[in-house]
Amino acid sequence: MNCLLCNGPVAAKLTIRELIWPGRLVMPVVCPKCRQQFMPLEGEQRCPACCRLQDTSQLCPECRCWRQMYSWKLTHQALYCYNTAMKEFMHQYKFAGDYRLRAVFAAEFTAAIRQKRAEVVVPIPVTQATMATRGFNQVTGLLGGVKLTPCFQHRTLEKTAQSHKSRRERLQTPQPVALSGPAADLAGKRVLLVDDVYTTGRTLYHAADLLYQAGAANVISISLAR
Amino acid sequence: MLEDYYGRRVLVGRDEIVPAHVQTLPTITVQTREIICHRCGQRTPKLVAALPNNEYYCPHCINLGRVSTLCKFYHVPEPNQFTISQPVLTWRGRLSPLQVTAAQRVTAGMVAHQRQLLWAVTGAGKTEMIFQGVAACLARGERLAIASPRVDVCLELYPRLQAAFTNTEMALLHGRQSQPYRYAQLTVCTTHQLLRFYHAFDNLIIDEVDAFPYAANPVLFYASQQTSKTQGGQLFLTATPGEYLLNEVRHRRLQVTYLPLRYHGHLLPEIRCHLARHWRRQVQRGRLPTEMWRRLQTSLHQGHRFLLFVPHVADLTTVARACTRHFPATSFTTVHAQDPERLEKVQGMRDQRYSFLITTSILERGVTFPEIDVFVLGADDDIFSSAALVQIAGRAGRSASRPGGHVDFWLTARCRRVSRAMRQIRYMNQKGRCCQRELSAM
Repeated sequence: MNCLLCNGPVAAKLTIRELIWPGRLVMPVVCPKCRQQFMPLEGEQRCPACCRLQDTSQLCPECRCWRQMYSWKLTHQALYCYNTAMKEFMHQYKFAGDYRLRAVFAAEFTAAIRQKRAEVVVPIPVTQATMATRGFNQVTGLLGGVKLTPCFQHRTLEKTAQSHKSRRERLQTPQPVALSGPAADLAGKRVLLVDDVYTTGRTLYHAADLLYQAGAANVISISLAR
Repeated sequence: MLEDYYGRRVLVGRDEIVPAHVQTLPTITVQTREIICHRCGQRTPKLVAALPNNEYYCPHCINLGRVSTLCKFYHVPEPNQFTISQPVLTWRGRLSPLQVTAAQRVTAGMVAHQRQLLWAVTGAGKTEMIFQGVAACLARGERLAIASPRVDVCLELYPRLQAAFTNTEMALLHGRQSQPYRYAQLTVCTTHQLLRFYHAFDNLIIDEVDAFPYAANPVLFYASQQTSKTQGGQLFLTATPGEYLLNEVRHRRLQVTYLPLRYHGHLLPEIRCHLARHWRRQVQRGRLPTEMWRRLQTSLHQGHRFLLFVPHVADLTTVARACTRHFPATSFTTVHAQDPERLEKVQGMRDQRYSFLITTSILERGVTFPEIDVFVLGADDDIFSSAALVQIAGRAGRSASRPGGHVDFWLTARCRRVSRAMRQIRYMNQKGRCCQRELSAM
């Protein structure tokens, strides 16, 4: 078995228990050295609403802005810091299109989503053009075995990728998605929005806005990186 | 540009509208359990290669741009549109009589589009020998590629070829480069880049076929088949052909030309093996195996410098410590691949500032120090392939002033890779002796 990221060997160290009771084995897909490069977002020193790392545990200036713009609050959880290793990972997974890499975080991300105990889990969609070239939605790829309600659709066939824009341009992005199909059942539900990377929060706030309009009782969000 | 598609496979989306005169080629064959990528020829289980909605992609050659069932290849058959300006060969060097015979055979083979192997010992001057053949093919308006698994080899070859063929259009392709692709008669590239071509070259030359990381890699041989035209010729250059090539020679699918003598006309130094059962433990206690330090001492007394190879970076410090204890008055240092001062240290060895270097296999090929001895501690380690061992042994005796030199290996146990390396050297020397006799008879 080789590491999905560096292609070096990964040794699976089995515990005595696993050797004696051979149940379902979960083999590591990434070597410890590569795993170490990713920095989990933990501890008190971060914004309670978006998980941004900072010196205090107060609301960060960005989230204060958002609270002024919208009447409701969005609480976001991010699992990892968007550092060089994570950037490299996202590049390889999304832009190079190596769909195997979903296995690196899938188990962990799915567990975090299960913990939220939301009634409806909604992934952020990709455009039809992306679907035709990339062949997969990077968000749903990361979720193994979670029941999803894909109630969003892009309003346009194509768009410039958020990652190619400046911060200002990103914040000025107009509402990119519209509700479709299964949106009717949202009324009164606790909804969890799922994205791959949280950068400015623009996409998630647009999406949450729609969900509240559709009558959702409460919307929270989660992303792999921040 | 239509030119960009000549003899190439260019990835485009499945739904693109095909321009005039352009053919499309399939990307992936989907079988019941596996998929086969048409670019790299690798098979992947469907489970690994799956994308949503019954689409598949090839994870093996993803670094060249993803091949998937969502795309197709554009291709235009190679038209050989080149203008040939004389003289083709602007190289003014001379070949030794031995090189001349080998070069003539290689040229004849290239003109006849044969599959051939030029098996020349380390330090024989392989590159110069192909110039004549390359010139003959270029003059006939053929398209050629010279590829190597290592980028450094390509980077080193390119200026030499540019000087030798000043009037020919040339392109250099490798992964770390940002220049766009250019259609040229002579292409110098890494073997990985070959996967982008399809039935393009009338003659394909692959230098250092056995070098890391593509030693005997099936992808390499698939690429060499795919990129040369159906009637095209192939030429492999190496000092240490691996199992695959030797097998091809045995089955007469590959013409072989030997050059068993170095440019100075002497035989290769042969390997001597010694047993050093627990060398790692001894070294950790700060002591070299007795026989070994006697050997090193003799070399130092006679004023010969040497390279000491160890299997792993971790062994460098312990061996260095043991060496300081045994030879406190001698100046030496250690070198490994991630060493920031690697180049300075190698230069220091050239400038005779060090009496010896302790190193890992990074100095196995491409470096020449005159009049040195070569020692390997732990030669039976998995890290040394038999090709690497032949290359390492080939560091000794490269100068005409001291064509001999000692090559000593210390092993914990007998090992097949070491025996095979010894056998290869002995085989080349046997051929070399015949050559020497012929030469002296002339």
